[in-house]
Amino acid sequence: MTGAVRDATVAVRDVTVAVRVEGLTRRFGRRWALRGVDLDIDSGASVALLGSNGTGKTTLLRVLSTLLRPTAGRVEVLGQVLPGGAGGAHGASSTDAVRRRSTLMTPHGHAYEELTGLENLRFAARMSGPAVESSRLLKTLDDVGLEDAAHTAVRAYSTGMRKRLELARLSLRTLELVLLDEPFASLDDEGVSLVQAAIGRWRDGGATVVVASHRTRAATERADRVVRLEHGRVASDEPS
Amino acid sequence: MSELFRRSSAILWKDLLTETRTRQGFTAMLSFSALVLLLFSFAFGPDAALLARLSGGLVWVAIVFTGTLSLGRAFQSEELAGGAQLLRLYPGDVRALYLGKLAGNFLLLAALETLLFPAAAILFGAEFGPHAPGLAFVALLGTLGFSVIGTFFAALTVHLRARELLLPILLFPALVPVVLGSVGATDAMLAGDPLGRASGWLRLLAAYDVIMFVVCVWIFPIVLEE
Repeated sequence: MTGAVRDATVAVRDVTVAVRVEGLTRRFGRRWALRGVDLDIDSGASVALLGSNGTGKTTLLRVLSTLLRPTAGRVEVLGQVLPGGAGGAHGASSTDAVRRRSTLMTPHGHAYEELTGLENLRFAARMSGPAVESSRLLKTLDDVGLEDAAHTAVRAYSTGMRKRLELARLSLRTLELVLLDEPFASLDDEGVSLVQAAIGRWRDGGATVVVASHRTRAATERADRVVRLEHGRVASDEPS
Repeated sequence: MSELFRRSSAILWKDLLTETRTRQGFTAMLSFSALVLLLFSFAFGPDAALLARLSGGLVWVAIVFTGTLSLGRAFQSEELAGGAQLLRLYPGDVRALYLGKLAGNFLLLAALETLLFPAAAILFGAEFGPHAPGLAFVALLGTLGFSVIGTFFAALTVHLRARELLLPILLFPALVPVVLGSVGATDAMLAGDPLGRASGWLRLLAAYDVIMFVVCVWIFPIVLEE
């Protein structure tokens, strides 16, 4: 851990707001995906982010995860002001500090077809930190019901199995902010329950969880707040 | 530094494992380079002396063409896995992605060259054998230069629709010093002049490799920004 990251980590121990977004706009060419979003999310909260296609849910999650820079506005995540927009002067150190304590699960996940589930998990572990023993990786796969498919190439996995592998990948790290983009897409009831259980574990561990989904019922089941986006703006923000 | 090495080696491990499973990349490269060499030998006719004299340049043209084909695959595999963008979500320096991919491209091309040079020696009647150590050194520097620049431009063009067209257009001008140096040094080695003309070309190659490596590593994080 670098000095800057260590300092940043110490500095945010007392932070009670995990995410603070002020006047966030994001443009792709001529199209505005976000048009002045204001949003505060307390540490440890679980927020359901709802809205139809093209309302800016994915863009908002990608900005919070540091993948996208804001066109304008101020974004503070886990006590770090992100680069881009207003006030984001410290690019590399703030984004790295956020990446060490947060993650984003995308709708299609992140897995290599020719590698087995176990190899994909080993790769994720090596990218995230020191080597993790195979027994722990197998236990992690076991926890998501993939113990029998640990040595099978991911290209043979179903959509649900890929989602389970993604959950296993995320559970390798201790996270303070978990951003889930359409985590219930293409899942059967058992898969939905598995994602709900994972959200519960993250919440029990004190992490802040933001779930963007079309599936209102599944997304709001464990949420204590529902934020609805329309045309790149917050249309409503109320308790679940 | 150890974190950068760990993450780079993870990417290299993953890419080599994928390549050994599919062998698609290496097999395609080998077939393509053999075809290029054959086409050259047909194009220049039965003049054995001419072919032997041009063999250095012909081999390096085959290496550049074949290497350009394989460069695109390096980052396309990331797109198939969900996007190179997602690798940025792992904590740590994103340059690990560049260094890991660079090492993979270098090793794949170096493996190909161990077959390509003997094949060219047979086809063109060139006497590579007596100059093998010197030629290996030229190949090392030339392949490194190609991989350094090629990996960078492959990352730069991976999100573009016309990437297959744009990659060579951007890459080839930047490769001119590498090709000049490699062909010049190879010809000088074959002419039995390793300490004279060859050393000048090798110095050019080494200097260009170092400069481009520093520049590419420096600006690579910007390439992945969306």
